Amino acid sequence: MLLSVKNLKMHYKTKMGYVRAVDSISFDLDSGEGLGIVGESGCGKTSVSMTILRLLPDNAEFKGGEVLFDNGNGEPVNLVSLAESEMRRYRWKGISMIFQAAMNSLNPVYKVGDQIVEAIQNHFPDTPTDVAKKKVAELFRLVGLDPTRMEQYPHQYSGGMKQRAVIAMALSCDPRIIIADEPTTALDVIVQDRILREIRAIQKKLNMAMIYISHDIAVIAEVSDRIAVMYAGKFVELADSVTIFKRPMHPYTYGLMHAFPSVTGKKVDLVTIPGEPPDLLAPPRGCRFYPRCPKGDKLCEEKDPEYVEVDKGHFLACHHPVQPGEVVQFNAE
Amino acid sequence: MLKFFSKRIVQIVILLFIYVTIVYWLMEAMPGSFTDKYLMNPKITPEIRQNLAKQFGLDKPAFTRYLYYMKNFLKLDLGISFSYFPKKVSSLIFERLPRTVFLFVTATLVSYILGYNLGKRAAWRRGKILDKTATFVGIVFWTIFLPLLAIFNIWLFGVILKILPLNQFINPNVWRETNLSAQNIFLKLLLNAFIFLVVMMISLIFAQRVKTVAAKRTIVLLSAVVTLSVSIILWTSTGLGIYALDIILHMVLPVFTLTLYSFAGSMLVMRDTMLEVVREDYVVTAKAKGLPDRVVRDKHAARNALLPLITNFVISLGFTLSGGIITETMFSWPGLGRAYLEALNSQDTPLLIGLLVFTGIFVLLAHLIADVLYAFLDPRIRY
Amino acid sequence: MTEQSETIVQEPLWKIKLRLWLKEFKRNWALFRERKIAIFGLSVIIFFAVFGIIYPLYPTIMKNVFWKDDIISYETFTPYDPIIGFDPNIFDHPSPPSLVHPLGTDPLGRDVLSMVMYSTPREFVLGITAALITVVIGTIIGASSAYYGGVVDTFFMRLADIVMLFPSLAILMVLSAFIELTLFRLALIIGILAGFGSITIVLKAQALTVKVRPFIEAAKSTGASDAYIILKHIIPNILPLSFLYMMLNVTGAIFTEAVLSFLGLANIRMSWGVIIHMAESSGYLMGSSIGTYWWLWVPAGACITLLCSAFYFLGRGLEEIVNPRLRKR
Ligand SMILES: Nc1ncnc2c1ncn2[C@@H]1O[C@H](COP(=O)(O)OP(=O)(O)O)[C@@H](O)[C@H]1O
Ligand SMILES: [Mg+2]
Repeated sequence: MLLSVKNLKMHYKTKMGYVRAVDSISFDLDSGEGLGIVGESGCGKTSVSMTILRLLPDNAEFKGGEVLFDNGNGEPVNLVSLAESEMRRYRWKGISMIFQAAMNSLNPVYKVGDQIVEAIQNHFPDTPTDVAKKKVAELFRLVGLDPTRMEQYPHQYSGGMKQRAVIAMALSCDPRIIIADEPTTALDVIVQDRILREIRAIQKKLNMAMIYISHDIAVIAEVSDRIAVMYAGKFVELADSVTIFKRPMHPYTYGLMHAFPSVTGKKVDLVTIPGEPPDLLAPPRGCRFYPRCPKGDKLCEEKDPEYVEVDKGHFLACHHPVQPGEVVQFNAE
Repeated sequence: MLKFFSKRIVQIVILLFIYVTIVYWLMEAMPGSFTDKYLMNPKITPEIRQNLAKQFGLDKPAFTRYLYYMKNFLKLDLGISFSYFPKKVSSLIFERLPRTVFLFVTATLVSYILGYNLGKRAAWRRGKILDKTATFVGIVFWTIFLPLLAIFNIWLFGVILKILPLNQFINPNVWRETNLSAQNIFLKLLLNAFIFLVVMMISLIFAQRVKTVAAKRTIVLLSAVVTLSVSIILWTSTGLGIYALDIILHMVLPVFTLTLYSFAGSMLVMRDTMLEVVREDYVVTAKAKGLPDRVVRDKHAARNALLPLITNFVISLGFTLSGGIITETMFSWPGLGRAYLEALNSQDTPLLIGLLVFTGIFVLLAHLIADVLYAFLDPRIRY
Repeated sequence: MTEQSETIVQEPLWKIKLRLWLKEFKRNWALFRERKIAIFGLSVIIFFAVFGIIYPLYPTIMKNVFWKDDIISYETFTPYDPIIGFDPNIFDHPSPPSLVHPLGTDPLGRDVLSMVMYSTPREFVLGITAALITVVIGTIIGASSAYYGGVVDTFFMRLADIVMLFPSLAILMVLSAFIELTLFRLALIIGILAGFGSITIVLKAQALTVKVRPFIEAAKSTGASDAYIILKHIIPNILPLSFLYMMLNVTGAIFTEAVLSFLGLANIRMSWGVIIHMAESSGYLMGSSIGTYWWLWVPAGACITLLCSAFYFLGRGLEEIVNPRLRKR
């Protein structure tokens, strides 16, 4: 197992109380595998990846759990218990990231090429600059950028080009895992699709593990082997992508598959299930999906369902799973 | 590029022209116009008076006089001082200028280095002890009544600790047995400081090239130590050391006072800008790349917060004359500020106008330099 | 049902507005309270306000405590008058702090505490008047420049460039030669000079962000006049920032007055700056006697510094409310 996350918990401390953005998350990741994490925005997807990489803001409080990372030489290390100076060595070389706001991930005052060279020389200090530059040129070709553009500044790039440069940067230290957090949301649809496919192709070619994060299950489906569905700080279902589509067991997953017209009329694109996601400051006592769930009953209100393996490789947290062939009606208030 | 700067220069010339005009008419409005003062000064012989009258058109109506002044101004002639007759205003200014510039450049450099470093650290560790103390102490000094700070420092270092001279430019006892001019030594000191700065700049540029932090430090430290020791050896071997030391000792208090008073300005600007920059995604990216905390802070965050600091620097130059008036009065430092106060008291109008006009030119030039620096520091800005 | 909705409609508009305003105020107050620096500033300002207001009590109380038994002197002398006071019972003026004169007396035999207290309300008047003038001018010009653009904008922006070129202290010093700088005139001049300067540029930039918001277009399409739009829609939206600059400008005005008085160039009979000027011009700040006669300059200097920094602290505290980008999440 390349990466094994166990009961990860992280809360943000705010004036109003704790925002439970990551609440007992567990999953495994094999080398070469593509795992998708899908969920409405604000459910804590970014927080999960930031907790794994320990890039959290000041007000974040780590509340427990393990992140076991196999660095290829025997015993896996627990990233959460490393000293900051140790942790630095695992960032980018072990796990690198393509950020949600890829547009702004490049520092405007340095040449794009130099920013990638910086990452390489940080982890391989003995690399001469010209060797590092050659490597960057290769990466540029790999992601479909003209290597002469290395000497340009970010503002001279178009949106799609910046995105590609950021992908090249994520690849620069041959990481074992790449986390792509909504890597294409800022781009227009056509470019989005193409870049996502290219990322997938590169991932297969270099045999890296990848975590794709998106709020759009359709985007994720194409590129991941397994899909985890996240709701209000928790994973509610995880299975291989075929199963998730063919036989969703959690009503929320089911709801994501079947588009519903938006009720409020405001959030046209994201919300397909009636109702609002819960306030993470004070989530419902029982199942967090209970207030929006058509199948919810007393049990769901009282008791939080456990996240267990119901089938081989199929994890679920639900008291009343959707049965095969069952039609769940979400009543639009 | 060329187009931008020629446009900018034209703009500056127009601004300067309007500024000089306003200054001139303001002075004309002063009671007892300066014509009379020229004509009544007993030191001025009738011939000179006639020459002057001709040069400045003193017998002409006010508007013609203004035209004369502007004509002379275009020939870079600011007229002749009344109280220091027959010294030219421009030569007076150039005699006093180095003293003020030295005082302020040193204080400004020190306070910007301090402000930059404190500001970025305060923002990086927002809400921690350093942030809170630096902000609090900084604002107190920033809003302190400058004369009070000067008096306090004179009292503490001059009277109680007795380690620094109270005020003045030189100590007459030291200079009694020599016919060296203080100005001469001072200019040499200035040259020395300039060479030191240039060497440090070159070594800093060099230091950018090497990789490890330790090597960077060694290069910068080494060049500082070498230049300083060479200067000290040169000064002592020529026997001018005590005189230079005397001037430097007299400078310490004013520079210290000015630095205390002004570092918070740059510190607060740096802190506020840093607070915005650290939220940028590229700072998180830099951290995700596994770069050490210091590199993320200095190379990625602080570097992007530099531009507003430069703006602040240029604005602060505008206060050099005002600040000079107070500081130089408190420390009896014979610079431009003192000259301004003296000129005002003796109603030396040509000198007053000259000083104001010169300050205006100075500030406008600073704006131009800021434009160049912007383009140099931010690749997005291209004229 | 219908009755109820009618009663809701019948609630006067001002009540709804007041309630909204109160809610907004409460939210901001909560934000403000978190900023210890701002609370500190506000406390110091309140302290000085009280300090200035209770001044009239001070001479009366002191006189009744220390002079009552001395019937003749009690009727002839005004030992606690800040301007013409004199204490004949003390031979050596300036005298150090004592029970009778908590902060000592100055070279003319006047009570220092009395002078300091007497000056306090004057500093407030000066600072606030000047800042108010600055902000009114700056807000109006900033809003109109942003709204009209074109020639109006160019004119005022270039004007600001020129005004910023003038070293304000130096110009005020020149003006002092032919204008009697009384407290009020000084406030006026400081206010006007600052009002056309950099503040217009800042407020214009802010007003520009308001100008592009949809409600301006909406107001225009209903046929509202320019003046109405500027007054009703643009200015209220830049007012928080104006208010912030007002706080910072109070600091500047008090400082400028103090320096001018200290240099003996203002025509003000009593102020904190004048007190220090008195000490300087009578030679008590020269050489080694500085520390000996500390009560001549420390109290007044400390007051200037404290009040100036208090307004600055308050301004910075407000800044985080006005500018959410500075806020800590
Ligand atoms: N620094 C923070 N302080 C407090 N709450 C935060 C912070 N960052 C994110 N949150 C909250 O945590 C939740 C999860 O955020 P995020 O991980 O960004 O979600 P996603 O990536 O799924 O959109 C959201 O409700 C968000 O408002
Ligand atoms: Mg996110």
